[in-house]
Amino acid sequence: MIGRLLGPRRARQLQRFVRNGKLTIFCLFLTVIMFRGYLGAGRFGTPEKDLDDIRETLSYIRNRAEPRRVLEEALMAAQGGLKSAENAGAGGNNYADFDMTKILRDEDDGAEELNRDPSQPYSLGPKISDWDEQRAEWLQRNRKFPNFIREHKPRVLLVTGSSPKPCENPVGDHYLLKSIKNKIDYCRLHGIEIFYNMALLDAEMSGFWAKLPLIRKLLLSHPEVEFLWWMDSDAMFTDMVFELPWVRYKDVNFVLHGWDHMIYGQKNWIGLNTGSFLLRNCQWSLDFLDTWAPMGPKGKVREEAGKLLTRELKNRPVFEADDQSAMVYILATQKEKWADKVYLENAYFLHGYWGILVDKYEDMIESYHPGYGDHRWPLVTHFVGCKPCGKFGDYPVERCLKQMDRAFNFGDNQILQMYGFTHNSLGSRRVRRIRNETSNPIAARDELGLLHPAFKAVKV
Amino acid sequence: MAADPTYSAQKRNPTILPQTTSDDDDGGPRGRHLPKGRHGDRKFGNIRITILCGFVTVLVLRGTIGLSNLVSFEADAESQYLIEETNRIVTAIRSDDDPPDPDDENSPNSTSAFNLGPKIKNWDQDKKLWRRRNPQFPYFINGRPKTYLVTSSSPSPCENSIGDHYLLKFLKNKIDYCRIHGIELVYNTAHLDKEMSGHWGKLLQIRQLMVAHPEAEWIWWMDSDALFTDMVFEIPFHRYRSSNLIIHGYPDMLFNEKSWIALNTGSFLLRNSQWSLDLLDVWAQMGPRGRPREEAGKILTSSLKGRPALEADDQSALIYLLISQRERWMNMVSIESSYCLHGFWESLVDRYKEMMEKYRPGFGDERWPFVTHFVGCRTCASNGDYPVERCLKSMEMAYNFADNQVLNLYGFRHRGLVSTNIKRIRNESVTPVVNVDKFGIRNSLRGNKG
Repeated sequence: MIGRLLGPRRARQLQRFVRNGKLTIFCLFLTVIMFRGYLGAGRFGTPEKDLDDIRETLSYIRNRAEPRRVLEEALMAAQGGLKSAENAGAGGNNYADFDMTKILRDEDDGAEELNRDPSQPYSLGPKISDWDEQRAEWLQRNRKFPNFIREHKPRVLLVTGSSPKPCENPVGDHYLLKSIKNKIDYCRLHGIEIFYNMALLDAEMSGFWAKLPLIRKLLLSHPEVEFLWWMDSDAMFTDMVFELPWVRYKDVNFVLHGWDHMIYGQKNWIGLNTGSFLLRNCQWSLDFLDTWAPMGPKGKVREEAGKLLTRELKNRPVFEADDQSAMVYILATQKEKWADKVYLENAYFLHGYWGILVDKYEDMIESYHPGYGDHRWPLVTHFVGCKPCGKFGDYPVERCLKQMDRAFNFGDNQILQMYGFTHNSLGSRRVRRIRNETSNPIAARDELGLLHPAFKAVKV
Repeated sequence: MAADPTYSAQKRNPTILPQTTSDDDDGGPRGRHLPKGRHGDRKFGNIRITILCGFVTVLVLRGTIGLSNLVSFEADAESQYLIEETNRIVTAIRSDDDPPDPDDENSPNSTSAFNLGPKIKNWDQDKKLWRRRNPQFPYFINGRPKTYLVTSSSPSPCENSIGDHYLLKFLKNKIDYCRIHGIELVYNTAHLDKEMSGHWGKLLQIRQLMVAHPEAEWIWWMDSDALFTDMVFEIPFHRYRSSNLIIHGYPDMLFNEKSWIALNTGSFLLRNSQWSLDLLDVWAQMGPRGRPREEAGKILTSSLKGRPALEADDQSALIYLLISQRERWMNMVSIESSYCLHGFWESLVDRYKEMMEKYRPGFGDERWPFVTHFVGCRTCASNGDYPVERCLKSMEMAYNFADNQVLNLYGFRHRGLVSTNIKRIRNESVTPVVNVDKFGIRNSLRGNKG
């Protein structure tokens, strides 16, 4: 048709023109797309975001495949802000749907910030070689803060923590609150001090590694502390009566729950648990922390270390290096250097995996009493894998939260009985009286003897 | 490309039917003859371009209108399911799934005196005897009387999650202060008595702690919406040797104006003594839920200046009690305003920056307030008396203002007063005890030295 209008040659020229034109337009399109990819545009996606999505999906699949001991990133994520699930409110006095990101700002107040020299290999701090002497001298000068409250009873600092930002999960902060109340109660009874951390000290040691710089910092800032007790925020005390057997540990520096044969024999990555452990304040511990830290710095170092750990340890899945696996590796490969001062405790539940404990609470109440600390009445129930602060959809939420309520009440009953109360049931928030009040309270005793226990008494 | 002269001829000659193409044949539907391979090439070329164009289209669509929104109905459905599940679980957790108590519905109508507990008569002597017999539980340590700080919140999650988040942060703040100053911390989350509901519950908690802990010299009640903003300041107990109640307020507002906000019961101390048990018993009379509280509310509104029509609250009741029974109680009451045992937040939070520039921790007064109390914000409920943004921002600033004083020992500080991130302000040292001596609050306190 065009040929009829313009003549055959012209028609062909036009066709050629159009064909070339198509190519030109196509190339223009490609250029535009490339620019979009670099400069970004639109709300929904750029090619880079596609790649991120793909990476995320793959890692999600990888995480799903992890067995029981799921790593918790209980401490803050340094990278990226937290997206609030709630939309910005319209102002006014109603707290529903208020977006916290409107308030939290990283505005610097001008005070000088000191940064680690990034060209140097990572270290927790300058090497200290005489910490035992420095500490002894300080204790000598400060006799009002002895490192032993009584003979065989060391001064202990329990350290736990969570993110300074609100939880993604709408009831996450409530469970963190219950968890810290539980620890406050145990520690008040046993004369232990608490440090609740909400600060990320070192952006490179993020996630589960964040405890290392924190522990070192606390040991050095509190020479009066003899033992530092690290405890995850998803672990709860369920035996309020059990006092740690300090005498057993007088010659060791590091106490963890685990089994010797699983570490030194099998190199099993869950042969011990770093969710609840004791570390003595001494030079040995500083050296151990320095040995432990190198697998931690995020990025390539952690990835590579993860591959090494997966290869070397039994049953470990593929993911970046975590503090627990690194610990197993160090103990297994440097046994002569460290093992004599490390005690792997399994006579009681310094860490008790919740899955095997929570359904048995009623049986325990019927058959036993608090004070055993072991399978009969666990000292600690640790909700590994539950991530109360994380998003819904990652784990069986209902079971986790319901069981955390039960574990909390199981422990809380032992506190309430001091004052004559108990929960209506392990699943109930309400309490009822079990002991009438008396006009002669001096003579009253609580059944478990927790009001004035021997382990709280001070040296006279 | 050479023009094909047979093209038009073919078109005009309908009798020549198109044959299957062959290398020799000049026919073909378009008249253009191509060798078989080249025909395949052409087709392949077309397909290539089509695929490329299709790819580009997908990219563009994805970028502009979000193709994933159109295509992945599954992802949509899944997130919808998650949202519903989340809401269901959260609602289940927030609701109280106990069956209602049968006598919950019946408010007590009796006008007989309410009892916090059986009447105790000899508490001072009993307590002294107990302390003599139990020196291993001292009531005086390092020059300071043994103090129990008690605070509480509801056993259920807050109406909004941000409420729980600030309860957590304020509790951490109290943990820090109590650790530094050797104070025992008790956090209560149980409703002990149906009658003494709401803020009245503190009376029972205080009494309970007193009688269970004879070694406690002072019981310090603090609301969950109050936090310590001066980590160095200590209560000057030596000033109160002959007092049994330390409370923030203004005597002229109390006795001359009879104002309902003359005192603040959000932060006060009661000595563990018979006098305090008696005070609690009398104070509790206006508390029981239902008619007693409503009737008492009317009395309080008519007696106190500025009080709106409300049921009786513990603060107004105490004020009324001290005014009407002045001779009985006031000689043992210290009304304190020389430091912020309670510091009303609105007049303090905007000055934190100025305080950091001009003053230092330890004053405890308007220069560096001891306690900042977020009265009226009610972050655990769904509505407060003040705009949400102002409350939450101020609470975050107060928390960070206090936290900076704790982090100072460790060589860190918040990046800004509204920032959750911290920055290092002091290098790590090879002689850390030097920093402990210099920056540690605890060992520099009066009574702890040496």
